[in-house]
Amino acid sequence: MFGPLGQKLIAHVAIGGFSFSFDLITIIVSWIVIALLVSFALVLRRSLHQEVEEKPNRIQALLDILIDLFKGQLTSNFSSDKMAHELFAFVSTVFLYVLLCNWISLIPYFDSPTKDLNVALSMSILVFVMSQLLAARAKGTRKYLKGFFEPYPFMLPINIMGEIAKPISHGFRLFGNMFGGAILIGLVYSFSITRWGFPVLLNVYFGIFSGFVQAFVFAILTVAYINVAVES
Amino acid sequence: MLQEAQSVVSQISGADIATAAKYLAAGICMGIGAIGSAIGEGNVAAHALDGMARQPEMQGKLLTTMILGQAITETTGIYSLLIAIVLLFVI
Repeated sequence: MFGPLGQKLIAHVAIGGFSFSFDLITIIVSWIVIALLVSFALVLRRSLHQEVEEKPNRIQALLDILIDLFKGQLTSNFSSDKMAHELFAFVSTVFLYVLLCNWISLIPYFDSPTKDLNVALSMSILVFVMSQLLAARAKGTRKYLKGFFEPYPFMLPINIMGEIAKPISHGFRLFGNMFGGAILIGLVYSFSITRWGFPVLLNVYFGIFSGFVQAFVFAILTVAYINVAVES
Repeated sequence: MLQEAQSVVSQISGADIATAAKYLAAGICMGIGAIGSAIGEGNVAAHALDGMARQPEMQGKLLTTMILGQAITETTGIYSLLIAIVLLFVI
């Protein structure tokens, strides 16, 4: 019954005693997303080579507006300006990558990589490691480790569980939303007679709107988790 | 009549009951699990709207916080979706 909904192309590789399985569609599409982002960046950077006194050209004006928007919306939740300036590139890269991963499913035959738990969970684990490292750097390793024993030493397991629950809920939220949307779209497509009309509206909602909101939420939560880890 | 019914019942195997229970459990899990997160998200949106109506100049800030709050409230619904998916596809 659920056969035609989820078609996967899986490569099995055995190295030594371990066997690894790779979802080829996820890997290829996420490399396409990375290539798109990098080539956008390189093309857009080329238009920035000009003197400061000159009137900004169109692309530069657009980029100025976009970067102001990103700074205002994404990194204004950081408590200190220094951290906002430092982590602006990281947060906006996470946002753009997740956004393009969500939106690439609008192209036929492209599955969004965030529909795969591996991608979503690895993004959230990246954020988790980043937040722990930044916390250790901001507070000093000794004080950072001591934070796990607060307020009482026997709270250590609870503190560790609390930290581990964050990346899990962070990653599963993105995965669940994108996967649920994809299942719903697939179901409606398999029921409907035509491929035009109502199902396209679903694609617009789950692809464009929900994809944007989830990428935004992912970036905002990245900011919140890093901020909490560094502050507390 | 009674014998017919008995023969039908005797044809149902344990695997059939397990499959039926799987689908039923997935439906109940998703249906009940969605109630809590729906009420929670509605609460968040209602109070954000209250705040926006009282102070329209705070709209941008409130919208960001509202979406964040709704995303966190949604987590329980996502968990029940995951359980439903596990019930349907994995078990």
